[in-house]
Amino acid sequence: MERIYLTSEDRIELFENNLVTVTLADGRTFEELEPRRLFPVNMPEKYITLLDKDGVEQCVIRDTGELNSSSSDIIRKSLNDYYLVPEILRIVNVSDKYGILRWEVDTDRGRKSFDIRNRNHDIRVSADCSIRVRDSDDNRYVISDYRMLDTKSRKLLNTEL
Amino acid sequence: MSTEIILKNKEVPEGALPIVNRIKKSGEEVLFVIVGDLNLDGNYDSTALLFTSKRVYTFDGKDRESMCFAYSDMTDVTSKRMYGNATLSAGLPDGARKIFFRYTYGIASLCDAAALFIEHVRNGGDLNEETAIMAVTFEKALSVCPKCGRTLLHPGAECIMCRSKKKIIKKLFVYIRPQVPLLCVCVVLSIMTTFMALVPPAITGFIVDHVFTTSNKSSYRFFDRISELLGGDPGKLLVTMILCLLFTYVLQYGIGIIRSHLMRKAGDKTVYALRNDIYRKVQYLPMRFFDRTSTGSVINRVASDSATLQNFMLRITQEAVVHFFQMIGIIVIMLAMNPLLTLLSLIPIPFIVVFTRFFSIKIRPLYHRIWKRWSSVVSTLSDTIPCIKVVKSFTGEQRTVGRFEKKNDEWLKIDLRLGKIASAFPQIVSFVITCGSLIIWGFGGSKVITGAEGYSAGLIVTFISYASMFYNPVSFFANLSDSFQGALASTEKILDILEAEPETQEENSVDAGKLNGKIEFLHVGFSFDRSKKVLDDVTFTIEPGEVVGIVGTTGSGKSTLINLLMRFYDGYSGEILVDGHNIKNFNLPTYRAQIGYVQQDPMMFSDTIFNNIAFSKPGASVEDVIHAADVANAHGFIARQPDAYDTWLGERGTGVSGGEKQRLSIARAVLMDPSILIFDEATAAVDSETERLIQDAIDKLIEGKTTLMIAHRLSTLRRANRIIVVDNGKIIENGSPAELMAAKGKYYKLVQIQSMTAEAEKIREEERL
Repeated sequence: MERIYLTSEDRIELFENNLVTVTLADGRTFEELEPRRLFPVNMPEKYITLLDKDGVEQCVIRDTGELNSSSSDIIRKSLNDYYLVPEILRIVNVSDKYGILRWEVDTDRGRKSFDIRNRNHDIRVSADCSIRVRDSDDNRYVISDYRMLDTKSRKLLNTEL
Repeated sequence: MSTEIILKNKEVPEGALPIVNRIKKSGEEVLFVIVGDLNLDGNYDSTALLFTSKRVYTFDGKDRESMCFAYSDMTDVTSKRMYGNATLSAGLPDGARKIFFRYTYGIASLCDAAALFIEHVRNGGDLNEETAIMAVTFEKALSVCPKCGRTLLHPGAECIMCRSKKKIIKKLFVYIRPQVPLLCVCVVLSIMTTFMALVPPAITGFIVDHVFTTSNKSSYRFFDRISELLGGDPGKLLVTMILCLLFTYVLQYGIGIIRSHLMRKAGDKTVYALRNDIYRKVQYLPMRFFDRTSTGSVINRVASDSATLQNFMLRITQEAVVHFFQMIGIIVIMLAMNPLLTLLSLIPIPFIVVFTRFFSIKIRPLYHRIWKRWSSVVSTLSDTIPCIKVVKSFTGEQRTVGRFEKKNDEWLKIDLRLGKIASAFPQIVSFVITCGSLIIWGFGGSKVITGAEGYSAGLIVTFISYASMFYNPVSFFANLSDSFQGALASTEKILDILEAEPETQEENSVDAGKLNGKIEFLHVGFSFDRSKKVLDDVTFTIEPGEVVGIVGTTGSGKSTLINLLMRFYDGYSGEILVDGHNIKNFNLPTYRAQIGYVQQDPMMFSDTIFNNIAFSKPGASVEDVIHAADVANAHGFIARQPDAYDTWLGERGTGVSGGEKQRLSIARAVLMDPSILIFDEATAAVDSETERLIQDAIDKLIEGKTTLMIAHRLSTLRRANRIIVVDNGKIIENGSPAELMAAKGKYYKLVQIQSMTAEAEKIREEERL
């Protein structure tokens, strides 16, 4: 089957919660689709797959920017509901007890403290200076550019890099 | 105001207390509360979900209205895990699906259970029973210690910090106890060497004062006596003193040799016993433990955590004692010789303590960074070398070289940069200590020049020696807490194994003996984490000697059926009977000895082919093993190997092909002559010719034995006289192949699909010919 890539001609509407309804330009419709990122880490706004109730892909969005604005707003909102990756704005405190790191951070979603079990695997620095953090409960956090953090945060972070 | 709620995962947020009171006033009782961490917008907030016997109330932060839903109004309550967050939602009477709670993964397991709770209560489940299940879930979901807030090794584990230290020591002391006499000897020897070490500075001081110069009285009466005996001849005196020094050194280092030998013996024996015990325990742990703990982590605990712990135990019993006595000894001698100078030479000590602390805190992260870069170099190695075939076939040599060089380059940069600091620190610490001697030189020296009472050049030499000996004990005690932390972490991981419940063995269990092989599943239900039923009310009977094919998609629960029958997991509901006995009542080893299990990916030990086959029946005769190999169609290829039955199989059985390994594992099953045979996708990964050989082997083997075969390829099941189709944890079809074909259900569909592909393949093959 040919993969359907959505364009600005196609319409996306909210179905319920984070689910959407897609109406193609040729009139075909798909209900209850769940938008999911194919590259949640490296390309969060590109290559969005839309899965039906049974988890079968019905169509794909190459780039949310290619959609008409109301559709892309709905997709972004749905993705924001599904993917909760708070952005760490400031590191308040880092402590290390018995090999488990505890970070206290200010994020765009509020203050949170969490544990990092394996500092080698759970803190990943990318070449573009962003850092992805995974906590002991498998929640994800991101620092989009560690060079932009304040001095104290950078200092606390430094020992882990 | 009593707002006491027993069942909760955290303190109920203050904003939710009015809701609690409102519920109480309305005459309902709050059964349990789940305190959440996200509001519905996805921002961090203290939220709560309050459950009563009929309703659930939400508290979504103080700025929002609390919602309330009656269980009877809700349909299809589901917990949905998304990415970094999850939601609880339910269908409401107006037909819409409402999300009423949002949370991070930290409390997801609780919410999974809560969704089931509502579903069960709604469908008339027993409220007390369901609440009790929730109570257990709460207990198991504790990922941090409720007392000290420390993250636990795994949810529900006991907190090592808050446990009685006495108990821990008692647990570990078991391993030290046999070595106690040896350790006592070591301590005595240690004290002896310690005191021996204190002698040379005194002698050098005497030499300076009374051999090189001829002042009259020394501060040691003992040396004066010697001096008198030798008639005050400085030459003779020097020789005597040197002999004295030699004697002390011989004694000191001689005892040192014996001591370190004994220490090693005691330490090795301790870690030997500990390691044996951990390994033994690991072998008997239930599969659930291995689901939770990665094999790498288990290997680490046996291999390195035991050594860390041993090191620490020895440090405490030995080095601490030595250093303590050395410190006391030095201070006592120094005080006896000159109190004022003692106090002065102690001045650098606080600096040393602070410095070593600073040093270890600062330097460790640096080493850690170097190490991290280094391990990324190593991982590039271990990534690419085993994949060399892939690299070559896609001509990726240059790319991998580039990647390696880049990593290595990063290592070099950081190592050079940090190496500077890393090497500066120990030097600085030594510098501070040396500076301490300047104080002694300065103050003591000026006293010697002015000829003050009780000061001499010898005294200063002695003091400087003692002061430098002070450093080791001080830095030892300053860093003791670090090694204590490391040891505690290791202890936690080791006790996690030592205290884990082994596979349950009912008392009065009976030997399985030779079984007929009748298998009955009666209303069996099973789930790994309560959130999803892997098996749901499964009932079937298999008569002795039947060959039963189990069919179903991946994740349908086929393998779980086998896992339960093998007793890899015990926590299922309902009953499994073999020959009319509950399998839980059988003695486990005798029961498993009656089941031959052939896996999809047969694991081989790194041992000879002979031993790999004979693993299933220790002490099997050579001819039995050859016979088993013959039945399994393996004898032929084994005989063709240069080393035949002595062929050494590498890790995971390299040296033989996948199909050959499979036949070896069938030979294993043949050799043990079981009453029940299980083939778990035994021919899934081999070509058709090998499949024929294996099928042939299986056909010979299953004669008269109850046989369960899990298979994707239905051709494997041509010998089956009954097919069970599993879907979503339920048995949807059960009958002879002919019956199922006639019923035109799922099995019929599968056969259709597969015969279509088979036909298509046939046509393609013919075309090629």
